[in-house]
Amino acid sequence: MTLDAEAMARLLEITGGDQAFIDELVDTFVDDARTQIEGLRAAASSGDTEAVVRPAHSLKSNAQNVGATLLAELSRSLEADARAGAIPDLTARIDAVEMEFGAVSAALRADRTRD
Amino acid sequence: MTPARILAVDDTPFNRRLLVRLLEGIGHEAVEAGDGREALERLRDADAQPIDLVLLDIEMPEMNGHETLAAMKADERLREVPVIVVSSVDELDSVVRCIRAGAADYLPKTVDPEILRARIEASLAQKRLRDNERDLLATIERQRSQLARFLSPQVAALVSSADGEAMLAGHRREITAMFCDLRNFTGFSESAEPEEVLGFLRAYHATMGTLIVEHEATLEHFAGDGFMTFFNDPVLQPDHAARAIRLAVAMRQQFATLSADWRRRGHVLELGIGIATGYATLGRIGFEGRYDYGAIGSAIILASRLSGEAAPGEILVAARTFAEAEGDAVIVAESGGDRTLKGFSRPVPTYLVVGLGEAAGDLGSAVEGVSR
Repeated sequence: MTLDAEAMARLLEITGGDQAFIDELVDTFVDDARTQIEGLRAAASSGDTEAVVRPAHSLKSNAQNVGATLLAELSRSLEADARAGAIPDLTARIDAVEMEFGAVSAALRADRTRD
Repeated sequence: MTPARILAVDDTPFNRRLLVRLLEGIGHEAVEAGDGREALERLRDADAQPIDLVLLDIEMPEMNGHETLAAMKADERLREVPVIVVSSVDELDSVVRCIRAGAADYLPKTVDPEILRARIEASLAQKRLRDNERDLLATIERQRSQLARFLSPQVAALVSSADGEAMLAGHRREITAMFCDLRNFTGFSESAEPEEVLGFLRAYHATMGTLIVEHEATLEHFAGDGFMTFFNDPVLQPDHAARAIRLAVAMRQQFATLSADWRRRGHVLELGIGIATGYATLGRIGFEGRYDYGAIGSAIILASRLSGEAAPGEILVAARTFAEAEGDAVIVAESGGDRTLKGFSRPVPTYLVVGLGEAAGDLGSAVEGVSR
Protein backbone atom coordinates (compact mmCIF):
# COMPACT_ATOMS: atom_id res chain seq x y z
CA MET A 1 0.00 0.00 0.00
CA THR A 2 1.28 3.48 -0.76
CA LEU A 3 -0.09 6.65 0.73
CA ASP A 4 1.69 9.95 0.30
CA ALA A 5 1.24 11.69 3.64
CA GLU A 6 2.08 15.02 2.03
CA ALA A 7 -1.11 15.00 0.00
CA MET A 8 -3.27 14.83 3.11
CA ALA A 9 -1.11 17.39 4.87
CA ARG A 10 -1.58 19.69 1.91
CA LEU A 11 -5.37 19.24 1.93
CA LEU A 12 -5.35 20.06 5.62
CA GLU A 13 -3.26 23.14 4.94
CA ILE A 14 -5.38 24.54 2.12
CA THR A 15 -8.56 24.07 4.13
CA GLY A 16 -7.05 26.06 6.98
CA GLY A 17 -6.43 23.05 9.24
CA ASP A 18 -10.04 21.97 9.42
CA GLN A 19 -9.68 18.29 10.44
CA ALA A 20 -13.45 17.73 10.60
CA PHE A 21 -13.76 18.80 7.00
CA ILE A 22 -10.87 16.53 5.98
CA ASP A 23 -12.64 13.61 7.70
CA GLU A 24 -15.73 14.38 5.64
CA LEU A 25 -13.60 14.54 2.52
CA VAL A 26 -12.08 11.12 3.29
CA ASP A 27 -15.59 9.69 3.73
CA THR A 28 -16.54 11.22 0.38
CA PHE A 29 -13.46 9.63 -1.18
CA VAL A 30 -14.26 6.20 0.28
CA ASP A 31 -17.94 6.29 -0.78
CA ASP A 32 -17.11 7.54 -4.25
CA ALA A 33 -14.29 5.04 -4.79
CA ARG A 34 -16.64 2.18 -3.83
CA THR A 35 -19.10 3.38 -6.48
CA GLN A 36 -16.31 3.52 -9.08
CA ILE A 37 -15.07 0.02 -8.24
CA GLU A 38 -18.64 -1.27 -8.59
CA GLY A 39 -18.68 0.44 -11.98
CA LEU A 40 -15.45 -1.36 -12.96
CA ARG A 41 -16.91 -4.71 -11.90
CA ALA A 42 -20.09 -4.09 -13.88
CA ALA A 43 -18.09 -3.15 -16.98
CA ALA A 44 -15.92 -6.28 -16.62
CA SER A 45 -18.87 -8.66 -16.24
CA SER A 46 -20.62 -7.21 -19.28
CA GLY A 47 -17.34 -7.17 -21.26
CA ASP A 48 -17.80 -3.49 -22.07
CA THR A 49 -14.27 -2.11 -22.38
CA GLU A 50 -15.42 1.44 -23.01
CA ALA A 51 -17.47 1.47 -19.80
CA VAL A 52 -14.20 1.09 -17.87
CA VAL A 53 -12.94 4.56 -18.90
CA ARG A 54 -15.14 6.71 -16.70
CA PRO A 55 -14.93 4.88 -13.35
CA ALA A 56 -11.18 4.35 -13.89
CA HIS A 57 -10.73 8.06 -14.61
CA SER A 58 -12.72 9.16 -11.54
CA LEU A 59 -10.93 6.70 -9.31
CA LYS A 60 -7.58 7.94 -10.61
CA SER A 61 -8.31 11.60 -9.88
CA ASN A 62 -9.78 10.77 -6.45
CA ALA A 63 -6.75 8.69 -5.58
CA GLN A 64 -4.43 11.53 -6.67
CA ASN A 65 -6.33 13.89 -4.41
CA VAL A 66 -5.69 11.86 -1.27
CA GLY A 67 -2.14 10.85 -2.23
CA ALA A 68 -2.90 7.18 -2.94
CA THR A 69 -0.21 6.99 -5.60
CA LEU A 70 -0.34 3.24 -6.31
CA LEU A 71 -4.14 3.24 -6.53
CA ALA A 72 -3.91 6.22 -8.87
CA GLU A 73 -1.37 4.41 -11.05
CA LEU A 74 -3.43 1.19 -11.22
CA SER A 75 -6.49 3.22 -12.23
CA ARG A 76 -4.55 5.32 -14.71
CA SER A 77 -3.28 2.24 -16.60
CA LEU A 78 -6.81 0.77 -16.64
CA GLU A 79 -8.13 4.03 -18.08
CA ALA A 80 -5.36 4.17 -20.70
CA ASP A 81 -5.91 0.54 -21.83
CA ALA A 82 -9.68 1.06 -21.90
CA ARG A 83 -9.24 4.10 -24.12
CA ALA A 84 -6.96 2.04 -26.39
CA GLY A 85 -9.69 -0.59 -26.64
CA ALA A 86 -8.16 -3.69 -24.99
CA ILE A 87 -7.58 -4.41 -21.30
CA PRO A 88 -5.47 -7.50 -20.59
CA ASP A 89 -6.23 -9.28 -17.26
CA LEU A 90 -9.13 -6.98 -16.46
CA THR A 91 -10.61 -9.01 -13.59
CA ALA A 92 -7.24 -9.55 -11.91
CA ARG A 93 -6.41 -5.85 -12.20
CA ILE A 94 -9.74 -4.83 -10.69
CA ASP A 95 -8.98 -7.23 -7.81
CA ALA A 96 -5.66 -5.42 -7.34
CA VAL A 97 -7.42 -2.05 -7.39
CA GLU A 98 -9.92 -3.22 -4.80
CA MET A 99 -7.23 -4.63 -2.54
CA GLU A 100 -5.18 -1.44 -2.73
CA PHE A 101 -8.29 0.63 -2.10
CA GLY A 102 -9.11 -1.45 1.03
CA ALA A 103 -5.62 -0.81 2.40
CA VAL A 104 -5.70 2.92 1.55
CA SER A 105 -9.12 3.53 3.14
CA ALA A 106 -8.09 1.63 6.27
CA ALA A 107 -4.93 3.73 6.52
CA LEU A 108 -6.79 7.00 5.97
CA ARG A 109 -9.29 6.10 8.67
CA ALA A 110 -6.52 4.92 11.01
CA ASP A 111 -4.90 8.34 10.61
CA ARG A 112 -8.13 9.86 11.72
CA THR A 113 -8.42 7.83 14.97
CA ARG A 114 -4.75 8.41 15.72
CA ASP A 115 -5.18 12.20 15.45
CA MET B 1 -12.91 41.90 -3.15
CA THR B 2 -16.55 41.66 -4.22
CA PRO B 3 -18.04 38.24 -3.46
CA ALA B 4 -19.05 36.40 -6.62
CA ARG B 5 -21.43 33.53 -7.31
CA ILE B 6 -19.33 30.71 -8.73
CA LEU B 7 -20.53 27.47 -10.32
CA ALA B 8 -18.23 24.51 -9.58
CA VAL B 9 -18.74 21.81 -12.22
CA ASP B 10 -17.18 18.42 -11.47
CA ASP B 11 -18.55 14.87 -11.57
CA THR B 12 -16.44 13.78 -8.59
CA PRO B 13 -18.07 14.57 -5.23
CA PHE B 14 -14.61 14.82 -3.64
CA ASN B 15 -13.53 17.60 -6.02
CA ARG B 16 -16.84 19.44 -5.74
CA ARG B 17 -16.77 19.42 -1.94
CA LEU B 18 -13.18 20.61 -1.91
CA LEU B 19 -13.83 23.40 -4.44
CA VAL B 20 -16.95 24.56 -2.62
CA ARG B 21 -15.03 24.61 0.63
CA LEU B 22 -12.15 26.61 -0.91
CA LEU B 23 -14.50 29.08 -2.62
CA GLU B 24 -16.42 29.71 0.58
CA GLY B 25 -13.14 29.99 2.43
CA ILE B 26 -12.11 32.92 0.20
CA GLY B 27 -15.49 34.63 0.53
CA HIS B 28 -17.37 33.56 -2.61
CA GLU B 29 -20.73 31.88 -2.94
CA ALA B 30 -20.44 28.38 -4.42
CA VAL B 31 -23.03 26.57 -6.53
CA GLU B 32 -22.47 22.93 -7.62
CA ALA B 33 -23.17 20.96 -10.77
CA GLY B 34 -22.26 17.28 -11.39
CA ASP B 35 -21.80 17.53 -15.17
CA GLY B 36 -22.05 19.86 -18.17
CA ARG B 37 -25.75 19.33 -18.74
CA GLU B 38 -26.57 20.18 -15.13
CA ALA B 39 -24.27 23.22 -15.36
CA LEU B 40 -25.99 24.57 -18.50
CA GLU B 41 -29.40 24.04 -16.92
CA ARG B 42 -28.33 26.09 -13.92
CA LEU B 43 -26.68 28.78 -16.07
CA ARG B 44 -29.80 29.13 -18.23
CA ASP B 45 -32.24 29.08 -15.32
CA ALA B 46 -33.88 32.50 -15.55
CA ASP B 47 -35.37 32.22 -12.05
CA ALA B 48 -32.04 31.52 -10.34
CA GLN B 49 -29.45 34.14 -9.39
CA PRO B 50 -26.98 34.73 -12.26
CA ILE B 51 -23.60 32.96 -12.16
CA ASP B 52 -20.51 35.21 -12.29
CA LEU B 53 -17.88 32.60 -13.11
CA VAL B 54 -17.62 28.86 -13.87
CA LEU B 55 -14.96 26.43 -12.63
CA LEU B 56 -15.12 23.60 -15.16
CA ASP B 57 -13.79 20.04 -14.96
CA ILE B 58 -12.89 18.50 -18.34
CA GLU B 59 -13.60 14.75 -17.97
CA MET B 60 -17.26 14.31 -17.07
CA PRO B 61 -20.08 11.92 -18.03
CA GLU B 62 -23.17 13.21 -19.87
CA MET B 63 -21.52 16.38 -21.16
CA ASN B 64 -17.78 16.96 -20.80
CA GLY B 65 -15.90 20.21 -20.32
CA HIS B 66 -15.21 20.77 -24.04
CA GLU B 67 -18.87 20.34 -24.95
CA THR B 68 -19.98 22.55 -22.08
CA LEU B 69 -17.57 25.32 -23.03
CA ALA B 70 -18.65 25.16 -26.70
CA ALA B 71 -22.32 25.35 -25.67
CA MET B 72 -21.62 28.37 -23.46
CA LYS B 73 -19.72 30.20 -26.20
CA ALA B 74 -22.55 29.50 -28.66
CA ASP B 75 -25.11 30.96 -26.24
CA GLU B 76 -25.32 34.75 -26.44
CA ARG B 77 -26.36 35.08 -22.79
CA LEU B 78 -23.58 32.82 -21.47
CA ARG B 79 -20.75 33.83 -23.81
CA GLU B 80 -19.41 36.51 -21.47
CA VAL B 81 -19.39 34.38 -18.30
CA PRO B 82 -15.70 33.61 -17.61
CA VAL B 83 -14.76 29.91 -17.48
CA ILE B 84 -11.72 28.63 -15.59
CA VAL B 85 -10.85 25.05 -16.51
CA VAL B 86 -9.82 22.83 -13.61
CA SER B 87 -7.64 19.98 -14.79
CA SER B 88 -5.31 17.27 -13.60
CA VAL B 89 -1.67 17.48 -14.68
CA ASP B 90 -2.07 14.79 -17.38
CA GLU B 91 -4.73 16.82 -19.23
CA LEU B 92 -2.55 19.64 -20.56
CA ASP B 93 -3.55 18.99 -24.19
CA SER B 94 -7.16 19.44 -23.19
CA VAL B 95 -6.32 22.65 -21.34
CA VAL B 96 -4.82 24.14 -24.49
CA ARG B 97 -7.93 23.15 -26.43
CA CYS B 98 -10.14 24.83 -23.80
CA ILE B 99 -8.14 28.07 -23.81
CA ARG B 100 -8.40 28.15 -27.62
CA ALA B 101 -12.14 27.56 -27.29
CA GLY B 102 -12.48 30.63 -25.08
CA ALA B 103 -11.70 29.55 -21.51
CA ALA B 104 -10.35 32.48 -19.48
CA ASP B 105 -7.75 30.51 -17.51
CA TYR B 106 -6.91 27.11 -16.03
CA LEU B 107 -6.10 25.73 -12.62
CA PRO B 108 -4.61 22.41 -11.50
CA LYS B 109 -6.75 20.14 -9.28
CA THR B 110 -6.22 20.40 -5.50
CA VAL B 111 -5.44 24.01 -6.08
CA ASP B 112 -3.88 26.37 -3.61
CA PRO B 113 -6.55 28.74 -2.23
CA GLU B 114 -4.39 31.82 -2.85
CA ILE B 115 -3.91 30.89 -6.52
CA LEU B 116 -7.63 30.14 -6.80
CA ARG B 117 -8.43 33.55 -5.31
CA ALA B 118 -6.01 35.38 -7.61
CA ARG B 119 -7.20 33.66 -10.81
CA ILE B 120 -10.86 34.22 -9.97
CA GLU B 121 -10.24 37.89 -9.21
CA ALA B 122 -8.29 38.36 -12.45
CA SER B 123 -11.01 36.71 -14.53
CA LEU B 124 -13.76 38.72 -12.86
CA ALA B 125 -11.81 41.97 -13.30
CA GLN B 126 -11.37 41.21 -17.00
CA LYS B 127 -15.07 40.54 -17.33
CA ARG B 128 -15.92 43.81 -15.56
CA LEU B 129 -13.67 45.69 -17.99
CA ARG B 130 -15.35 44.02 -20.95
CA ASP B 131 -18.79 44.78 -19.50
CA ASN B 132 -17.87 48.44 -18.99
CA GLU B 133 -16.52 48.68 -22.51
CA ARG B 134 -19.70 47.13 -23.90
CA ASP B 135 -21.92 49.48 -21.85
CA LEU B 136 -19.87 52.45 -22.99
CA LEU B 137 -20.15 51.44 -26.65
CA ALA B 138 -23.89 50.90 -26.22
CA THR B 139 -24.21 54.39 -24.69
CA ILE B 140 -22.24 55.99 -27.53
CA GLU B 141 -24.33 54.15 -30.10
CA ARG B 142 -27.53 55.25 -28.32
CA GLN B 143 -26.34 58.86 -28.24
CA ARG B 144 -25.36 58.70 -31.87
CA SER B 145 -28.72 57.34 -32.98
CA GLN B 146 -30.54 59.94 -30.83
CA LEU B 147 -28.29 62.64 -32.26
CA ALA B 148 -29.11 61.44 -35.77
CA ARG B 149 -32.76 62.26 -35.09
CA PHE B 150 -31.90 65.88 -34.30
CA LEU B 151 -29.11 66.44 -36.79
CA SER B 152 -28.52 65.48 -40.39
CA PRO B 153 -27.19 61.91 -40.44
CA GLN B 154 -23.97 63.24 -42.03
CA VAL B 155 -23.48 65.75 -39.21
CA ALA B 156 -24.29 63.13 -36.55
CA ALA B 157 -21.66 60.83 -38.08
CA LEU B 158 -19.20 63.74 -38.19
CA VAL B 159 -19.63 64.47 -34.47
CA SER B 160 -18.52 60.93 -33.55
CA SER B 161 -15.80 60.63 -36.21
CA ALA B 162 -12.07 60.98 -35.57
CA ASP B 163 -11.60 64.26 -37.48
CA GLY B 164 -14.96 65.59 -36.27
CA GLU B 165 -13.50 68.24 -33.97
CA ALA B 166 -11.39 69.85 -36.70
CA MET B 167 -14.33 69.85 -39.13
CA LEU B 168 -16.65 71.35 -36.53
CA ALA B 169 -14.13 74.06 -35.65
CA GLY B 170 -14.62 75.50 -39.14
CA HIS B 171 -13.40 74.96 -42.70
CA ARG B 172 -13.96 76.43 -46.18
CA ARG B 173 -15.35 74.43 -49.04
CA GLU B 174 -17.30 74.83 -52.23
CA ILE B 175 -20.91 73.81 -51.69
CA THR B 176 -24.21 73.97 -53.51
CA ALA B 177 -26.93 75.45 -51.33
CA MET B 178 -30.64 75.01 -51.88
CA PHE B 179 -33.49 76.99 -50.35
CA CYS B 180 -37.10 76.06 -50.76
CA ASP B 181 -40.24 77.51 -49.27
CA LEU B 182 -43.93 77.79 -49.90
CA ARG B 183 -45.70 80.57 -51.72
CA ASN B 184 -48.80 81.91 -49.96
CA PHE B 185 -48.23 79.81 -46.84
CA THR B 186 -49.16 82.82 -44.71
CA GLY B 187 -52.50 83.11 -46.48
CA PHE B 188 -53.09 79.39 -46.00
CA SER B 189 -52.29 79.66 -42.27
CA GLU B 190 -54.86 82.42 -41.89
CA SER B 191 -57.68 80.73 -43.80
CA ALA B 192 -57.20 77.09 -42.71
CA GLU B 193 -57.89 75.62 -39.28
CA PRO B 194 -54.74 75.31 -37.11
CA GLU B 195 -55.16 71.50 -37.09
CA GLU B 196 -55.22 71.54 -40.90
CA VAL B 197 -52.07 73.66 -41.02
CA LEU B 198 -50.27 71.28 -38.67
CA GLY B 199 -51.52 68.26 -40.61
CA PHE B 200 -50.27 69.78 -43.84
CA LEU B 201 -46.88 70.68 -42.35
CA ARG B 202 -46.41 67.14 -41.05
CA ALA B 203 -47.08 65.66 -44.49
CA TYR B 204 -44.89 68.31 -46.15
CA HIS B 205 -41.97 67.78 -43.74
CA ALA B 206 -42.24 63.99 -44.04
CA THR B 207 -42.21 64.12 -47.85
CA MET B 208 -39.38 66.65 -48.15
CA GLY B 209 -37.42 65.02 -45.29
CA THR B 210 -37.51 61.64 -47.04
CA LEU B 211 -36.23 63.20 -50.26
CA ILE B 212 -33.46 65.09 -48.44
CA VAL B 213 -32.25 61.85 -46.84
CA GLU B 214 -32.56 59.91 -50.12
CA HIS B 215 -30.51 62.52 -51.98
CA GLU B 216 -27.93 62.68 -49.17
CA ALA B 217 -28.30 66.41 -48.68
CA THR B 218 -27.16 68.02 -45.44
CA LEU B 219 -30.15 69.75 -43.87
CA GLU B 220 -28.94 72.97 -42.30
CA HIS B 221 -32.28 74.03 -40.90
CA PHE B 222 -35.96 74.05 -41.50
CA ALA B 223 -38.35 76.65 -40.19
CA GLY B 224 -42.07 76.45 -40.76
CA ASP B 225 -42.49 76.10 -44.49
CA GLY B 226 -38.84 76.57 -45.52
CA PHE B 227 -35.80 74.28 -45.81
CA MET B 228 -32.15 75.09 -46.32
CA THR B 229 -29.96 72.20 -47.42
CA PHE B 230 -26.54 71.95 -48.96
CA PHE B 231 -24.33 69.41 -50.74
CA ASN B 232 -20.60 68.53 -50.66
CA ASP B 233 -20.24 68.91 -46.90
CA PRO B 234 -19.44 67.32 -44.50
CA VAL B 235 -19.37 64.39 -46.95
CA LEU B 236 -17.60 65.23 -50.22
CA GLN B 237 -19.86 64.97 -53.30
CA PRO B 238 -18.04 65.97 -56.51
CA ASP B 239 -21.38 66.18 -58.37
CA HIS B 240 -22.92 68.50 -55.73
CA ALA B 241 -24.47 70.91 -58.23
CA ALA B 242 -26.22 68.12 -60.16
CA ARG B 243 -27.35 66.51 -56.90
CA ALA B 244 -29.01 69.75 -55.78
CA ILE B 245 -30.89 70.07 -59.07
CA ARG B 246 -32.03 66.42 -58.90
CA LEU B 247 -33.31 66.98 -55.37
CA ALA B 248 -35.14 70.14 -56.43
CA VAL B 249 -36.84 68.36 -59.35
CA ALA B 250 -37.85 65.45 -57.11
CA MET B 251 -39.24 67.90 -54.52
CA ARG B 252 -41.28 69.73 -57.10
CA GLN B 253 -42.73 66.44 -58.42
CA GLN B 254 -43.63 65.09 -54.98
CA PHE B 255 -45.00 68.43 -53.90
CA ALA B 256 -47.37 68.45 -56.89
CA THR B 257 -49.04 65.27 -55.56
CA LEU B 258 -49.23 66.68 -52.05
CA SER B 259 -50.64 70.04 -53.10
CA ALA B 260 -53.24 68.54 -55.51
CA ASP B 261 -54.88 67.01 -52.46
CA TRP B 262 -55.09 70.42 -50.76
CA ARG B 263 -56.16 72.19 -53.89
CA ARG B 264 -59.35 70.06 -53.87
CA ARG B 265 -60.03 71.47 -50.39
CA GLY B 266 -59.64 74.98 -51.69
CA HIS B 267 -56.09 75.78 -50.62
CA VAL B 268 -53.56 76.72 -53.30
CA LEU B 269 -50.00 76.00 -52.14
CA GLU B 270 -46.92 76.30 -54.36
CA LEU B 271 -43.22 75.62 -53.91
CA GLY B 272 -40.38 77.96 -54.88
CA ILE B 273 -36.76 76.78 -55.00
CA GLY B 274 -33.44 78.65 -55.35
CA ILE B 275 -30.03 77.03 -55.86
CA ALA B 276 -26.51 78.55 -55.89
CA THR B 277 -22.93 77.27 -55.79
CA GLY B 278 -19.89 78.91 -54.18
CA TYR B 279 -17.40 78.82 -51.35
CA ALA B 280 -18.71 78.88 -47.80
CA THR B 281 -17.36 78.59 -44.26
CA LEU B 282 -18.83 75.56 -42.53
CA GLY B 283 -18.77 74.35 -38.95
CA ARG B 284 -20.21 74.85 -35.52
CA ILE B 285 -22.26 78.03 -35.31
CA GLY B 286 -24.06 79.24 -32.22
CA PHE B 287 -23.23 79.48 -28.55
CA GLU B 288 -22.49 77.12 -25.66
CA GLY B 289 -25.66 75.13 -25.04
CA ARG B 290 -27.05 75.50 -28.54
CA TYR B 291 -24.89 74.96 -31.58
CA ASP B 292 -25.90 74.18 -35.13
CA TYR B 293 -23.83 72.86 -37.99
CA GLY B 294 -24.08 75.84 -40.28
CA ALA B 295 -22.80 77.42 -43.49
CA ILE B 296 -21.90 81.07 -44.07
CA GLY B 297 -21.10 82.60 -47.45
CA SER B 298 -22.46 84.58 -50.38
CA ALA B 299 -23.66 81.36 -52.13
CA ILE B 300 -26.08 80.79 -49.26
CA ILE B 301 -27.41 84.33 -49.47
CA LEU B 302 -27.72 83.99 -53.24
CA ALA B 303 -29.66 80.70 -52.96
CA SER B 304 -31.96 82.36 -50.45
CA ARG B 305 -32.54 85.39 -52.73
CA LEU B 306 -33.17 83.12 -55.75
CA SER B 307 -35.70 81.13 -53.74
CA GLY B 308 -37.44 84.42 -52.92
CA GLU B 309 -37.37 85.40 -56.61
CA ALA B 310 -38.73 82.07 -57.86
CA ALA B 311 -42.32 82.20 -59.01
CA PRO B 312 -44.69 79.43 -57.76
CA GLY B 313 -43.42 76.05 -58.99
CA GLU B 314 -40.11 77.43 -60.27
CA ILE B 315 -36.59 76.14 -59.66
CA LEU B 316 -34.33 79.16 -60.13
CA VAL B 317 -30.62 78.27 -60.43
CA ALA B 318 -27.50 80.46 -60.47
CA ALA B 319 -25.56 80.23 -63.77
CA ARG B 320 -22.49 78.82 -61.99
CA THR B 321 -24.51 75.94 -60.52
CA PHE B 322 -26.02 75.17 -63.90
CA ALA B 323 -22.57 75.16 -65.53
CA GLU B 324 -21.17 72.79 -62.89
CA ALA B 325 -24.17 70.45 -63.02
CA GLU B 326 -24.05 70.07 -66.81
CA GLY B 327 -21.16 67.62 -66.62
CA ASP B 328 -22.99 65.26 -64.25
CA ALA B 329 -26.62 65.33 -65.38
CA VAL B 330 -28.85 65.99 -68.37
CA ILE B 331 -30.75 69.07 -67.36
CA VAL B 332 -33.50 70.64 -69.39
CA ALA B 333 -33.47 74.34 -68.59
CA GLU B 334 -34.27 77.73 -70.02
CA SER B 335 -32.74 81.08 -69.26
CA GLY B 336 -34.10 82.76 -66.19
CA GLY B 337 -32.61 86.07 -67.25
CA ASP B 338 -30.28 88.34 -65.30
CA ARG B 339 -31.80 89.09 -61.92
CA THR B 340 -31.15 92.15 -59.83
CA LEU B 341 -31.01 90.91 -56.25
CA LYS B 342 -30.78 92.72 -52.92
CA GLY B 343 -27.17 92.74 -51.68
CA PHE B 344 -25.69 91.87 -55.09
CA SER B 345 -24.20 94.85 -56.94
CA ARG B 346 -24.44 93.27 -60.39
CA PRO B 347 -27.35 91.40 -62.01
CA VAL B 348 -27.05 87.62 -61.54
CA PRO B 349 -27.48 85.36 -64.61
CA THR B 350 -29.93 82.51 -63.87
CA TYR B 351 -31.57 79.42 -65.34
CA LEU B 352 -35.01 77.93 -64.78
CA VAL B 353 -34.95 74.14 -64.53
CA VAL B 354 -37.65 72.48 -66.61
CA GLY B 355 -36.72 68.92 -65.76
CA LEU B 356 -34.13 66.20 -66.10
CA GLY B 357 -33.23 64.71 -69.48
CA GLU B 358 -34.11 61.12 -70.35
CA ALA B 359 -30.63 59.78 -71.02
CA ALA B 360 -27.47 60.45 -69.08
CA GLY B 361 -24.08 61.27 -70.56
CA ASP B 362 -23.52 61.93 -74.25
CA LEU B 363 -26.43 64.29 -74.91
CA GLY B 364 -25.11 66.98 -72.61
CA SER B 365 -27.53 69.59 -71.33
CA ALA B 366 -30.35 70.79 -73.47
CA VAL B 367 -31.01 74.44 -73.12
CA GLU B 368 -34.24 75.65 -74.51
CA GLY B 369 -35.26 79.17 -75.29
CA VAL B 370 -33.25 82.32 -75.04
CA SER B 371 -29.65 83.26 -74.48
CA ARG B 372 -27.22 81.17 -72.55
